Amino acid sequence: MQAVASATLASPPPLGEGGWGEGSQLLRAWRRETVFYLFATPFAALTIVFGLWPIVLSVMTSFTASATALKPVPIYVGFANYAAILRDPLFFSSLRLTLVYAALAVVANLGVALAYALLLDSPLLARGRSFFKLAMFLPVVTPDVAGYVVWRWLYDQSFGALTAFLHLVGMPAFGGVASPATAMLAVLIAELWLHAGFYAVIFLANLAVCERALEEAADIDGARPWQKLFYVVLPELRPAIVINLVYALIQFLKTFTVVVVMTKGGPSGATNFLSYYAYQFFDQARYGEATAMATVLFAIVLLAATGVCALGERGRV
Amino acid sequence: MKRVLTYTVAAAASIFFLYPYLWMFVSSFRTTAAVLRDPLRCWPERFDMSGLASILQMGDLSLLRAMVNSLAIAGISTMLAVLATALGAYALTRRPRALAFRLLRYGFLMTMMYPYMLLVIPVYIVVYKLGLLGGYSGIVLFLAVGPIQFFLFEQLFRALPSEVIEAATIDGAGEAAILFRVVLPMARPVMATVTIITFLLNWAQWFPVLVISTDSDTWTLPVALLNVNGELGTNFQGIMALALVTTIPVALLFLVAQRK
Repeated sequence: MQAVASATLASPPPLGEGGWGEGSQLLRAWRRETVFYLFATPFAALTIVFGLWPIVLSVMTSFTASATALKPVPIYVGFANYAAILRDPLFFSSLRLTLVYAALAVVANLGVALAYALLLDSPLLARGRSFFKLAMFLPVVTPDVAGYVVWRWLYDQSFGALTAFLHLVGMPAFGGVASPATAMLAVLIAELWLHAGFYAVIFLANLAVCERALEEAADIDGARPWQKLFYVVLPELRPAIVINLVYALIQFLKTFTVVVVMTKGGPSGATNFLSYYAYQFFDQARYGEATAMATVLFAIVLLAATGVCALGERGRV
Repeated sequence: MKRVLTYTVAAAASIFFLYPYLWMFVSSFRTTAAVLRDPLRCWPERFDMSGLASILQMGDLSLLRAMVNSLAIAGISTMLAVLATALGAYALTRRPRALAFRLLRYGFLMTMMYPYMLLVIPVYIVVYKLGLLGGYSGIVLFLAVGPIQFFLFEQLFRALPSEVIEAATIDGAGEAAILFRVVLPMARPVMATVTIITFLLNWAQWFPVLVISTDSDTWTLPVALLNVNGELGTNFQGIMALALVTTIPVALLFLVAQRK
């Protein structure tokens, strides 16, 4: 519509010339519009073929018998795959693990990222700030497989530098990914190492546009540091907190690569998160159950992400 | 006193972030026996090249081929992604009310929400149906759409002053001329940033590459690393060397880009 208006404004049709002139105006306006569809075509094609079609296919596959999923005419079995995973006790323990891990990872990552961002933002840290920022962000651009491979070996009982270091300073040994009790923590630390810098950068971007006068006013009023943090700084950081929360929830609910590299879901299922569990079904060509699990996880992610978004919107007055 | 504490915490955090790189580097050039004896050493006794030598040929895949694959797949998919997303985001911001574009935007947001790792499972089926399984084109095309690129471009085009486009329109420029002669030249710095980010992201991709490949001919460095890491009979030094080779190009690219 806008283009039609501006095209007409740019060269008003000569009055009294009749329908032909008007028709050519329309034609030109129409061509102006079609060019936008032309621009969007590659993007639309890629989004549909490698984004929307797979999602539709995935949901459809979750209603088919696995053995026929790749056949031209799959056999539909209704909710049988969903019933099958709901009967599977391992599915529920995997779901519980995923939720617990996601909650812990979100809190740990955002907590560390916020603390580090506040530290980097502090006027006390005048020199070397760009170095500390760089150190924090380097893991974010490091290929995750490479980072997790190094962490896997850092934890190793005989090769690992961590084990040797703890021994050196006389601290008790850390089981790392070898012990069911510590595997989740070990995975969490490795993911924190890789991701925290990303969330810290978002916090820093928000801190850069904060109203400094408010903090100064709080100082003058004699607010204690924790009062300043909770009543002045955190409310100002609300946009970054909401963005990071949504992003981190999506990120950690689908934790996958770190499990593939470091634990393969073990030891004794201690890190068998839902996306890895679903992948194992996929690997055994049990496409029906795998996509049913994927759909359940998708619903959880969608619910969590939109829930946080809605909360964030409601709080904004 | 407060300053000392601040620096101590920042330094400790930096050691946490950077030590794994040092350990990876040192372990790539020390024999397995040497690492077992003293895992904490901060510099190799002497530079032992047997780790690098052991990964020059990994089964059917040569290190050179994996490097070329990584470079080609990340490079081509990045160019495609930047081009397609820039054009798409531009059309969507210029005509935000067109029904087709609104639907496309919602659809795109949906694909973002879908857990990425699980999207790859049905993508396998799609690529299989398209007959692209085992080739480069399936991998490259899959890597050519990404949420971060779209949002960066959308943000840029929304901030574009409308006077610029109006002025060009009054001068009689067509939409194609406006885009290629006016808008894109203005967008060049953002295009450069998006290109670097996309390259870094696509270099790290391993799951779609593994799923769409039918043999090791199309594997990239991260996939090769994952495979070597999962092998029986640990070649610790080789694993560290391959991790180093996988990390160095993107770390350097990032550090150079950061300077500018």
